[in-house]
Amino acid sequence: MIGATLNTVTQLYCTTHPAMGTEYSLYLYAPSREQAAAIAKPVFEEVDCVDALLSNYRPDSELSRINREAFHHEVTTDPEVFRFLATCLAWSERSQGAFDISVGKLMKVWKFFGASGALPSPEEIAAAREHVGWKKIRLDPEQRTVRFLTAEIELDPGGIGKGYAVDRSVKALRAKGVSAALLSAGSSTIYAMGSPPGEAGWKVRVPSPHPGGGTISTVVLRDTSLSTANLSEKNFVHEGQFYGAIMNPGTLQPVRGMLQVTVISNSATDSDALSNALFVSGPEDQAALLGEQDCALVIREQIRESETQAAPKYEAIRWPSEVAQRHLTELPTTKEKVKL
Amino acid sequence: MNRRRLLQGLSFSMLAAKLSGTSSLYGQAAEPQPQPARTFSPNDRIQVGFIGPGSRGQELIRQLLRTPGVEIAAQCDVYEPRFAEVNELVGKNVPAHKDYRELLDRKDLDVIYIATPPVFHASYSIAAMKGGRPVYCEKTIGFTPEDCTNVVEAARKTGQIFQVGHQMRYASWIVESVNRVRKGDIGEPTHVYGYWHRSDNWRREVPNPSLEHLMNWRLYRESSGGLLEELGSHHIDIANWVFGEQPQTLLGTSSIAVYHDGRTVGDNVQAVLGYSKGRRMFFSSLTDNGLMADQVWVYGTEGSLQITLADATFYKRTSKMITEASHSDVVQKGVETGASYNADSAMPYRGPGHRVNMKRDEDPTLTACKSFMECVRNKQQPFANVDVGFRSAIACSVGRQAMYEGREAKIPQLTA
Repeated sequence: MIGATLNTVTQLYCTTHPAMGTEYSLYLYAPSREQAAAIAKPVFEEVDCVDALLSNYRPDSELSRINREAFHHEVTTDPEVFRFLATCLAWSERSQGAFDISVGKLMKVWKFFGASGALPSPEEIAAAREHVGWKKIRLDPEQRTVRFLTAEIELDPGGIGKGYAVDRSVKALRAKGVSAALLSAGSSTIYAMGSPPGEAGWKVRVPSPHPGGGTISTVVLRDTSLSTANLSEKNFVHEGQFYGAIMNPGTLQPVRGMLQVTVISNSATDSDALSNALFVSGPEDQAALLGEQDCALVIREQIRESETQAAPKYEAIRWPSEVAQRHLTELPTTKEKVKL
Repeated sequence: MNRRRLLQGLSFSMLAAKLSGTSSLYGQAAEPQPQPARTFSPNDRIQVGFIGPGSRGQELIRQLLRTPGVEIAAQCDVYEPRFAEVNELVGKNVPAHKDYRELLDRKDLDVIYIATPPVFHASYSIAAMKGGRPVYCEKTIGFTPEDCTNVVEAARKTGQIFQVGHQMRYASWIVESVNRVRKGDIGEPTHVYGYWHRSDNWRREVPNPSLEHLMNWRLYRESSGGLLEELGSHHIDIANWVFGEQPQTLLGTSSIAVYHDGRTVGDNVQAVLGYSKGRRMFFSSLTDNGLMADQVWVYGTEGSLQITLADATFYKRTSKMITEASHSDVVQKGVETGASYNADSAMPYRGPGHRVNMKRDEDPTLTACKSFMECVRNKQQPFANVDVGFRSAIACSVGRQAMYEGREAKIPQLTA
């Protein structure tokens, strides 16, 4: 058993590992550098294994094989990938399509795939409609097969894959007997296991979506996960309008009016999927999507067309910590900002 | 080395016997009469008995789960924690056996997959083929030279389908490249240089020191041919494929340069294999590497080919066609003088090369499994058949011993 409870003197080590277009960081307590490395190795192997299953940048991943073949014939896949796809479709159903892994084509039309985005023509957007939609994916549990009902459907794991990788890695950490660790998938999905010695849990800071806006809330997490969806990674501005890389599958456009969603949920797969589903869904649907234990901090764009009708700057749903509003008052509208 | 003596000296064999409560793993299998292979209708699901679901074994199982019309019907391992891992992977309880003969005794299995340490490949394959089952066996097909010969003999005698785990033969870009080389695209191929450099200690973490030899069988001479066998055999197979024959000699060396941790196989190896007409294959594997880990270069009289795990590229000497028009006015106008250096000309082969228009798509191991099942249904011998398996395995087996003894090995040839 390695962790805070051990009598041996332990020290905090951080190991990083590049995967899924980002850098994973694992913080854990161990008696030596060698032991920290020995624990980290199989954990990151789990991450690599998920990458090999789900990467849409790797032609030999199982997801890429499904993308290539599932319109042409039923594709037999392994139980793990089948369960993953079933989970994705369940999230699509639950979120009424706000969460949808079939947005791959849309990501390419908007040039967010391997690039930071560009405005497509209205014709290109309209043509993409046929190739997007979770209801066009058929899963047959009996045969364990996947089939696409229309051509050029492309699954994109962006809204859930890192969460899934974190869950699998956490399982490996627990199997190793680790009792205190923090795993971060490039900061967008984080799992806090146990707590550092003498602490109630691992502190995670939620930043303002405005650069330089500081921290708006600090939460203390223990045996739970947190995921954040925002537009800071890939975005572009066209004629003063800001476009970010989270797609609304209904409008076939990048989501507008939303700045950041952070979700706390026991499962990292769920917090990842939920943060993206909440980002896309309308305000009225958001609370209903959350499970009983889940918490969310949703930050919307301010509407300043009428000074008297200022929309709420943020909405906290069961959020366990204070939110520093003062940092949000300075948020610009997307029309004003050049880059988040 | 005599096989019996080898097995007696195998420290994990005793451990395995303890774990299974029997020493039967190392006894001779009963020898039933060859049985005709089953005939399948298109809807029949092929029932797989899987022996040795360790890390590579589980990767094979994952690919089998992606192969249509296949069921993982039985598993066998001396290390019991594997059973739960397999059940998790397959999504149901797969009947488990600790003795491979128990698995082979079952009447409901159609084919046998073997992914144990190589010391068991021959005896398990032979028993499975004699029991009337097609076999997919990880490389190398045998650990000792006798093993290699015995597997070929058994396959010939029983007429069974036998495929060796040389999955690079099922990688689209490698197949395309080697076919082009064999058609003369780089002239006469004279050299194959392969390197497969690791960037780790090649060690598996062991939950309990008593399991060291069982889990880290790759690190000990009694159970492993080291890097030459575990990695080099794939590259030797590519050289065999390119040259259309097996090597005749092997001269090699190996040492421990980094990991003085009790292992008895080297953490680096260099080997030169001789083919007919003075052609050569060179293989190198070491532990410290920060770039592309796995490459095979094929050098020919008119160009070179680079094969990686993801793609393949041809490089050719760039010579321009000389025409009448281009030099007809030289006498009248004269030639111009100036600086002679042209960066592109410094090396005749330098340049971007021509990428083979067939990049990595599905995992070659999946293609290999699909192809094997097709062979089973159609009663055909696979591309990576027992002869292919022999030609790489015999070089590793004979060569390993010669390397330890510091001499050049003469490699026995496969007889017709």
